[in-house]
Amino acid sequence: MPRNRLLALAALPLVVILAACGGGTPTTDDVQAAATPHPLDTAGHDELVEQATEEGQVTVYSFTSRIAQVEEAFEAQYPDIDFIGHDISSSEQITRLQSEVEAGTPSADVAYISDAPVVITELLESGVLSNYVPQRVADSVPQEYQEPLLANRLSTKILMYNEEAHPDGSPIENLWQLTEDEWNGRVVMVDPSVRGDYLDLMTEFVRQSDALAQAYEEHFGSPIELSDGVENAGEQFITDLYANGLVLVDDTDNVNAAVGATDQENPPVGFTSYSDRRDNEEEGWALQASLGTTPSVGITFPAYIGMVKDAENPAAARLAADFLMGDDTPTGGPGYEPFYVPGDYPVRTDMEMPQDAAPLDELGAWDIDPQETASIRGDVADFLLTL
Amino acid sequence: MTAPPLTPAPQAAPMDPGSAAPARGNRGLGRVRTALTRPTTLLAAGVLVILAILVVSPLLGLLNTTLAADSRSAWTDVFASRMSANLLWRPLGNSLLMGTATAVLSTLVGGFLAWVVVMTRLPGRAVLGVLATIPFALPSFALALAWDAVFRNDLIGGSTGILMNMGVPVPDWLAWGPVPVAVTLTAHYFSLSFMLIAAALASVNGDLLEAAEMTGASRFRVARDIALPVVAPAVVSGALLAFAEGVSNFVTPALLGLPVRFHTLSTRLYGAITTGDVARGYVLSLVLIVVAALVMFASSRAGGRRSFATITGKGGRSRAVDLGGWSWPVGALAWAVILCTTILPGIVLVLSSLVRRTNDFSSGFTLHYWIGGSDPALAQGQRGILTNPQILDATWNTVLLGVSVAIGAGVLGLLISYVLTRSRGPRWLLGSMSAVSFVPFLIPGIALGAAFIAQFGAPVGPFPSLYGTFAILVLAGIAATIPFSVRAATSALSQVSKDVEESAVMAGAGLFRRLGAIIAPLTARGLFTGGVLVFVQMVRDLSLVVLLATPAMPVLAVLTYQYSSENFTQLANAVTVVIAVISVAATILARRLEGAAQPWSASR
Repeated sequence: MPRNRLLALAALPLVVILAACGGGTPTTDDVQAAATPHPLDTAGHDELVEQATEEGQVTVYSFTSRIAQVEEAFEAQYPDIDFIGHDISSSEQITRLQSEVEAGTPSADVAYISDAPVVITELLESGVLSNYVPQRVADSVPQEYQEPLLANRLSTKILMYNEEAHPDGSPIENLWQLTEDEWNGRVVMVDPSVRGDYLDLMTEFVRQSDALAQAYEEHFGSPIELSDGVENAGEQFITDLYANGLVLVDDTDNVNAAVGATDQENPPVGFTSYSDRRDNEEEGWALQASLGTTPSVGITFPAYIGMVKDAENPAAARLAADFLMGDDTPTGGPGYEPFYVPGDYPVRTDMEMPQDAAPLDELGAWDIDPQETASIRGDVADFLLTL
Repeated sequence: MTAPPLTPAPQAAPMDPGSAAPARGNRGLGRVRTALTRPTTLLAAGVLVILAILVVSPLLGLLNTTLAADSRSAWTDVFASRMSANLLWRPLGNSLLMGTATAVLSTLVGGFLAWVVVMTRLPGRAVLGVLATIPFALPSFALALAWDAVFRNDLIGGSTGILMNMGVPVPDWLAWGPVPVAVTLTAHYFSLSFMLIAAALASVNGDLLEAAEMTGASRFRVARDIALPVVAPAVVSGALLAFAEGVSNFVTPALLGLPVRFHTLSTRLYGAITTGDVARGYVLSLVLIVVAALVMFASSRAGGRRSFATITGKGGRSRAVDLGGWSWPVGALAWAVILCTTILPGIVLVLSSLVRRTNDFSSGFTLHYWIGGSDPALAQGQRGILTNPQILDATWNTVLLGVSVAIGAGVLGLLISYVLTRSRGPRWLLGSMSAVSFVPFLIPGIALGAAFIAQFGAPVGPFPSLYGTFAILVLAGIAATIPFSVRAATSALSQVSKDVEESAVMAGAGLFRRLGAIIAPLTARGLFTGGVLVFVQMVRDLSLVVLLATPAMPVLAVLTYQYSSENFTQLANAVTVVIAVISVAATILARRLEGAAQPWSASR
């Protein structure tokens, strides 16, 4: 058909021009080694302060609004350095940082970011972010929180229950109870195919298949039998959980309200953040962590601090990272204060755990390994899509 | 102004003097040469380039990403894997169902209200007309939340809705899933149909109706044979916009659908992007674009290319229909619709910014989130929004952005629709232009935003990097709202008789003179309607600006998002009220201006 050929001819140059203009969304084509150390990585504190003061400012993307309090504290300590904190969610930070670095116009120096597995695969491996560990904390931060990126604290996604309805402790002693009739339609969580941190939780169930298999045997008295198309105990648990009327919602607040609302006769249980318990009074909830549940109550995951590639203020960026790790007092001082809340855990071994929450070892949550999680997370997401 | 005394057959009418047939010998070449120098052709070429930059290249960017070596598998994942049923086919079916239901219901509801407001003498219809434009300005979560407040049952746990609390059992299908999603989407988007159809109805030539009635045609026949064809382009435009909105809305199916695992393409798409599988998300959005383009193509086939020109430069205002005994039931129905879609959700929105505890209407009320100072016990010490200087900044930015985009998109939309309806270019070209002008609707805002950063973030030739500037926001805003402005301009333009323009051609007016002096004023009402749609869309839309608005230049929608992602729900809702107030004020203001811009309907 001549007309079609004409159309193709007419369209071709346009396509070529546009492709040449670089119209496109960020790709991770330019994967490169992120390991080259920055000259400032070994600089002492005084040297950093001196150079940072010359730079005059530092811009921080943060996944939490509490960065505003950090800003005030930082500027009180370093009045000559303007700290510009921006509250941007993790998944937005990922897209934004990729686009900015690709376009050669990074507008941030530091990323304070959650969503660890995606950060590792999308930002760290492509060199958009690099690691910096202040020498001051090198000894007090366990190795797994220094590499591949420095973390300053752990957050949680754990099983919580309504302590008003169950004053004698959690009704769930073994996670497999959630797959039984008694809890049919009464387990709530955010849809893991819509939210990354819940996908991490599902991934951890799969990674902890052995523990789940053992818990199955403890609970039911017989070894676990896998259904067709299910490869391990973790997938079996997820399958059974979904088949037992698991209720999926769009937002953690919906989980909190469903589980925590007072005056309920038969409240559900659900997976949410331990630190949301601090809103109990304000919101009229009775949320409590399901401590002692076998094999585990849920997961902890890190909040990372990363250095942005080609940032304008590398020295101030490192000073800000140092500040976010907290000072040498037991509670981390003003820099860490906004994050010192019950239900979140500082990674530094020389800091005290916040009161009013179970200490990390009593909580017994699985601590995710971001790299390993990243390696099978996609498969778990795919598996969820078959349910 | 009068109609030209001699009207050539419209199809053969030369639009430009230069297009007269050249000599036979080198006919082809000569034709090309003349065609290239015709202003209409230049205009078409210019419009094409703009569309290519604003729409086609981000689209190619999306496609490019999915074709990169490490993301190519996304295509097989979506189309041919064990996930396909849950990832693509079922959500696709649900999306089409929601899009179609939204389009049909919106047209019925919007068309009914437009008829009541424009064609009847029902008391209070002016107020109805203003109220009927508000739902579009409300955020879709307000309507979903209103539904939730009434119909929520005990499926999730926590507190239940008003009906359950009164002891009325609510079945799951009424509380969650396709029914509430379709109904709340309709409640949100019927405004689109209402505005477009009302604008078209208002320009129906009263003489035509009277002439028909004098020949003895029944009222039904008048409606069917005269009024309906005239408003048909507006009906189709409204339905297509509602379809696209229904297909691409994310919040409503997420809120009301997920508890019964009701997924649409948009929830799957956003899910894929937020959990880090960007390529898969883009594949899904490309599917969405193709499917919607097919729907649009089919509808333009079905609609045919008839001409519905009614603005001929003469003719009086339509007579109002006397409803007689029907005025009570019709009025009651109209007010019931408005009550459920505007007043009730509006009240829910305002109250939800005043409650002490998130979405708990029995927990008592406080003005803290509006005017309070910093109190560590509430919302982690965030100030009330009216005492927060950042809000004033953001409000100003938002209004400025809305106005700039509305003007830019309005001009571009008029030019595009002029080329589409008045130039006689090859059909495939006009067809693809029309389709391309519809596509931005279906590109997820966040993807469009990312594409714009990739495209304009780095300096291109003599142009500096636009990243972080107001200009990139405006450009992306225009790209994203082209569907509104083109639809609005097309339905307005299709009513302007070619006779009027031809008489101007004969009087020697050039293309841009005609556009400025004839087309623009005659289509003013439709253009204002489009401008308001664009403004409202920009003011309340989040997904586009979320990446492009740098934190140093806040806009209101981004603030709402930040508040709500931090679980400061009341603050988020308070900002949303501000957004709604701005949108509604703009709507009312534009209606005032419309009156002034339409001298021929001054008798109103």
